[in-house]
Amino acid sequence: MQIAHYLNQFFGGVGAEEHAAMGLEIRDGAVGPGKVLESSLDGARVALTFVCGDNYAVERQDELTAAVLKKLREVNVDLFFAGPCFDAGRYGMAAGAIGRAVQAELGIPVVTAMSEENPGVDLYRDSLYIIDSGTNVTKLRDVVAKMAALGKKLSASEPIGLPAEEGYLRRGWLRDQLVEKKAAIRLVDMLLTKMKGEAFESEMPATSFAPVPIPAAVSDLSKAKVMLITDGGLVPKGNPDRIEGTAATRWGSYNVEGRDDLRAEDYEVSHGGYDTRFVQEDPDRLVPLDAMREMEKNGIIGKLHNEFISTCGRSNPLSNTRRLGREIAEKIKRDGVDAVILTST
Amino acid sequence: MQLTLANHPITDLQFGSPTRLEGTVLIADPAELRRLVLTDGSIIGVDFDIVRPGEPCRAGPVFDIIEPRAKEPGAGTDFPGILGAPFTAGLGTTHVLSGAAVSVLAEISPDLTRSATGRVLEMSGAPIEASDYAALRHLIVIPHTKAGLARQAIEKVYRVAGLRVAVALAQSALNHLAAEQNTFQSVGPGESSHEGLPRVAYIGQIFSRQRKPAVDEPILYGANTDGMLPIMLHPDEWLDGAVVPSLHSWFGGTETYFYQNHPIILDLYRRHHAREINFVGTIATIAGSDNFDRDRHCRAAANLVKWNLQADGAVLSKYGGGLPHADLAETARLLENMGIRTAVMVSDVSRDRRVESALLFNVPEVDAIVYNGGNDTKWQVPRLDRIIAATPEFTELLAGPMTIDAANIVGVTNQQGASRMRAIVY
Repeated sequence: MQIAHYLNQFFGGVGAEEHAAMGLEIRDGAVGPGKVLESSLDGARVALTFVCGDNYAVERQDELTAAVLKKLREVNVDLFFAGPCFDAGRYGMAAGAIGRAVQAELGIPVVTAMSEENPGVDLYRDSLYIIDSGTNVTKLRDVVAKMAALGKKLSASEPIGLPAEEGYLRRGWLRDQLVEKKAAIRLVDMLLTKMKGEAFESEMPATSFAPVPIPAAVSDLSKAKVMLITDGGLVPKGNPDRIEGTAATRWGSYNVEGRDDLRAEDYEVSHGGYDTRFVQEDPDRLVPLDAMREMEKNGIIGKLHNEFISTCGRSNPLSNTRRLGREIAEKIKRDGVDAVILTST
Repeated sequence: MQLTLANHPITDLQFGSPTRLEGTVLIADPAELRRLVLTDGSIIGVDFDIVRPGEPCRAGPVFDIIEPRAKEPGAGTDFPGILGAPFTAGLGTTHVLSGAAVSVLAEISPDLTRSATGRVLEMSGAPIEASDYAALRHLIVIPHTKAGLARQAIEKVYRVAGLRVAVALAQSALNHLAAEQNTFQSVGPGESSHEGLPRVAYIGQIFSRQRKPAVDEPILYGANTDGMLPIMLHPDEWLDGAVVPSLHSWFGGTETYFYQNHPIILDLYRRHHAREINFVGTIATIAGSDNFDRDRHCRAAANLVKWNLQADGAVLSKYGGGLPHADLAETARLLENMGIRTAVMVSDVSRDRRVESALLFNVPEVDAIVYNGGNDTKWQVPRLDRIIAATPEFTELLAGPMTIDAANIVGVTNQQGASRMRAIVY
């Protein structure tokens, strides 16, 4: 097995912070922790070691990544390791960026190692296996052994165990598994453990999201261009944009110029998650064009934008809705819209 | 209240005449059952079939699965409020044909936005280890309804037909000695035999107002739940026919079978019998359609658990799709703030398999979560010669070979606690 390994200037044996500006050096054979890797992997050989200064790596990350990829395209490598980086932030960021590119573009399995607090973890945990190295550098031998064991499994396409079994940091993904105990029994077990005041493990960690700042108020609504957007799935008859009724990947914008209300015969609803009969009877119940036209006439709003946007929010994962949101925001910015009323179901 | 289940294990199911129990072999008379089903004027024909564990066959779309059970004469009504007067369920003796099932197939698709074939009963191959239903002997009932019926009318016809056939089969056991009789120990908020043990309650959603129920939709004692507030039920009422799934819920992983064999209630009973807990009772509630609705239900449910059941802890389960997660979490939050510890069970909503998409609530108090999985499990199932379906179109759709999602095999993503499919965080 042929291995490539990425190290920073310190673990590459060049020196400490004063050498952080050094550029990429490509060496034949194992260096420092790479020798431990070789001894942990029977019959494996570190063919290449990339050594780079921490400052250079973060300041010229794209250049560095391209150079590593270029070199790896010229040689035959089965596995790529980076680190262990412990709590060295710049080292972790570089290891993550390079590792992700190597894995995604060359299809070579990658293992790195960092401490949970390393800023590289949050950025790359979802794409890479990151062994939990802790912060104690004297544990290097144990950490490298875990990296080697996981790398070996990855290159053999063996099933990978859970974080606690393999020693990697939780990646934030879900996978199905048939377990012995039915959900009902697990549920009562968990409650009773919790009631005893003992430690229990929820099957799903709480999620925390960065708060979305509230934008400044519209200073004068009577001069504002207002738009209606819905995730309730209202679409013109025939659903021209084929917006899916579950986990929609598309959105559409539909012209309402010259109309004072939405007629049932012109629209349908692509949404399987709520009782759509009332909207189907009168689409203004979801996209209140009639009420907005009145406000327009009475000067409460400046102008109603001549299109409304619609998608279907049902069971839509965040990775998808973020993209939809970005695309929609770009469009309404282009269209010079000042305020949006979002109607949901 | 005390329910006795008189258990008659069934090892085989055959056609014959008349319908009867011969030892552990259940014999079903199609002509007799046909006459029974056709008493409903909306049904113009009915087909029957039998499937057994391990047989290479596939049936679908499955509308409901029911365990054949019949009340001992004088003990009350079978499926009260639906098949008869709404007498209290859970009293006296009910005969159970364990190991048997009545499975109703539909002529219509449950929900085209998800799957044309709906939930499928698979009796062989890889999926069987994930569903309890593969281990049962099923009498398949395929009602054909007259043209021009509204969707909910068709579904109501399916519901009643299935329940009727299940009861009729089990009535064959009435004059037989049961292999075993299980009487549940007394439970209730004032039960003195379990004093000092942790007081535990169950709160189960039985409907979600994501859809308004049909006027005559039978859910709780035959009522459609419109306008209902949370209600205390004795656990035996759930087990004995007081609750059935809503009509348009056959995609939600709730079947009559697992109300009759409610995994959460049965586990609470098991621990009550083992003197691990004091099972103080249950609350049936519904998920609201708006915030006022939600607040009303969640507060009333929590108040009943606190003041009437005086529980120390509660387990909660949801119904339906995404929205009921909010009601579930809000109820648990209210309980936690009242000093009542909770654990909740939710269904898999993460379609991108990211943890960040896994929960539809973000409530710090709700920290004990059982997570049913299923969203990334697919099985490759082979072409089978024996496909049981209501129409030639469904027969063709189900013939295989095909890739089938876990959620489309009935029993795998059950929301009543019967699922062993977990989503694991890694």
